[in-house]
Amino acid sequence: MFSVYKKELQSFFYTPFAYVITALFMFLFTLMFNNALGNLDNPVLQFTFPDIFYNVIFFFIFLIPILTMRTFADERKFGTEVLLMTSPVSVIQIILGKYLANLTVFLFMIAGSAIYPIFTYLHGTLVMNQLICAYIGFFAWGAMFIAVGQLVSSFTENSIIAAVIGEIIMFVFLFIDDFSRTDFIMQYPKLQAFLYAFAAQPRFAYFSQGFIRLSDLVFFASAIIICLSWNYIAIERRRWKRG
Amino acid sequence: MITIEKLTKYYGSNRAVNNISFTINDNEILGFLGPNGAGKSTTMNMIAGYLPMTAGTVTIFGSDISKEPVAAKKNIGYLPEIPPVYPDMRVTEYLSFCAGLKRIRSSERSGEIERVMKLLKIEDVQHKLIKNLSKGYKQRVGFAQALLGNPKFLILDEPTVGLDPNQVIEVRNIIKDLKKEHSVIFSSHILSEVSAVCDRVVIINKGDIKAIDTIENLEKKLGGSLTLHIKVKGDRAKTSNIIELTDGVQEIASIDAEGNDFFAFAVKLKDGAGDDTKNKIMSELISHGIQISEIYTEKPDLEAVFVDMINKSDEKNGLLELLDEIEPVSAEADGESDNEEKKEGDE
Repeated sequence: MFSVYKKELQSFFYTPFAYVITALFMFLFTLMFNNALGNLDNPVLQFTFPDIFYNVIFFFIFLIPILTMRTFADERKFGTEVLLMTSPVSVIQIILGKYLANLTVFLFMIAGSAIYPIFTYLHGTLVMNQLICAYIGFFAWGAMFIAVGQLVSSFTENSIIAAVIGEIIMFVFLFIDDFSRTDFIMQYPKLQAFLYAFAAQPRFAYFSQGFIRLSDLVFFASAIIICLSWNYIAIERRRWKRG
Repeated sequence: MITIEKLTKYYGSNRAVNNISFTINDNEILGFLGPNGAGKSTTMNMIAGYLPMTAGTVTIFGSDISKEPVAAKKNIGYLPEIPPVYPDMRVTEYLSFCAGLKRIRSSERSGEIERVMKLLKIEDVQHKLIKNLSKGYKQRVGFAQALLGNPKFLILDEPTVGLDPNQVIEVRNIIKDLKKEHSVIFSSHILSEVSAVCDRVVIINKGDIKAIDTIENLEKKLGGSLTLHIKVKGDRAKTSNIIELTDGVQEIASIDAEGNDFFAFAVKLKDGAGDDTKNKIMSELISHGIQISEIYTEKPDLEAVFVDMINKSDEKNGLLELLDEIEPVSAEADGESDNEEKKEGDE
């Protein structure tokens, strides 16, 4: 598993990929940060990091599929899947190795954003518990969508298609919250509750308010486990089906 | 020893490999020969544990590939048809990754990588990105990967495709050397290659095994008569007379005039006739004062064996396929066929 992890990290960090995607994330985060600074005079809008994270998420969903699109699609495209499957490494180890590598790049990305809280700490006051909760929430949120993106990547050998489908799924997850509160859905309370249960955004909102709720952690953890298990099934299924 | 038993693969309803069984002995190079689309790569993918089989077993030094995949795969080095290389990696990075995958201890890794790079002569490109390498080099990098960790069993799917003639010879020599410590299965549609390298050959067509034997035996089996080529200076009629009257000669296949009284005879010998007949003809011709400038016997080449096998088996294949088509239909529609029989009886 470690060799797969290491190879994936190499493919991110020995190429400009990890740096470009981190720079893009930093750019988005900086925009939001500046925006929030600009609103300091406004008595209605608060300047808090959880708010910034909350806004970043909307743009961030474009980045996650780009991070994960190559995970399995490229292995198929270059015929290197054969190498992995015929080596004495189990499919589960391959999936976990790749997932951990994607998570590491994700950590690398959000680590960059820490300069702003540090900057704020030096020049003002920082609400530590809220900030930490927001980071945990953001990480859990990202970890779930990486699992989704990785799963989508195992469906196709075209990484662009993997990215586009990933974007669509992430949009659905983002807007299911608003959708479940439309008048139409409100007519059916059970359906509304069902849809709302899948919404990831309100769960992040709890984290950003400084709550760590077990139900939210369980939600993210089970979503990750389901996606990775499906990933395993998708790979095995294709081995049985294809030529 | 590697045992393949009743291996079958269906893609949907399309049968790619049909109930094939053979073994690969220790320190043996087995050639796997067949036209394109015969099921070679599918079979190799199944043996390597990449594709699951529809039915049958593959046992590699005692480990069943589907039941104990990790144990079985430890003994396998596999070079697929398309070398499985990552274009964005450097050669040493790639080999180091493969060594990790194959669980070679980190203390032994660099030595092992040096060894395979030296063997395949890719040291001069070791710091290059794989995407910048020529096809031949990529092929050799893929081959190097298969040799990492010195696995006892090597599966090589068309390893010489894309190499230049010098490299082909080098790679063939490497494969021959590998025989000392390894069992090798080696697929190709190039006949001369198989006859140059392999101990035994499995000929496969449309998913069925057509023959398993040594090359000599295959040649013998298929009308193994030799052809004698003689080039003489002298009387044409007299020479053909002498040749025709010698024991062991079946017929003169052709006579070509080559100017200045030179004639080239191609003589087909009877089965089992060989050096004796050649010597008799030589001494007869010399005693009649005919000068011989060239004389040699020629075996029927593997190309002929191969074409013969494929064509001959095509007829049989047709029948087998017919039978196969009939069986499932009759099994499904047993009731209907009974009715039909009754109707026929009524009529």
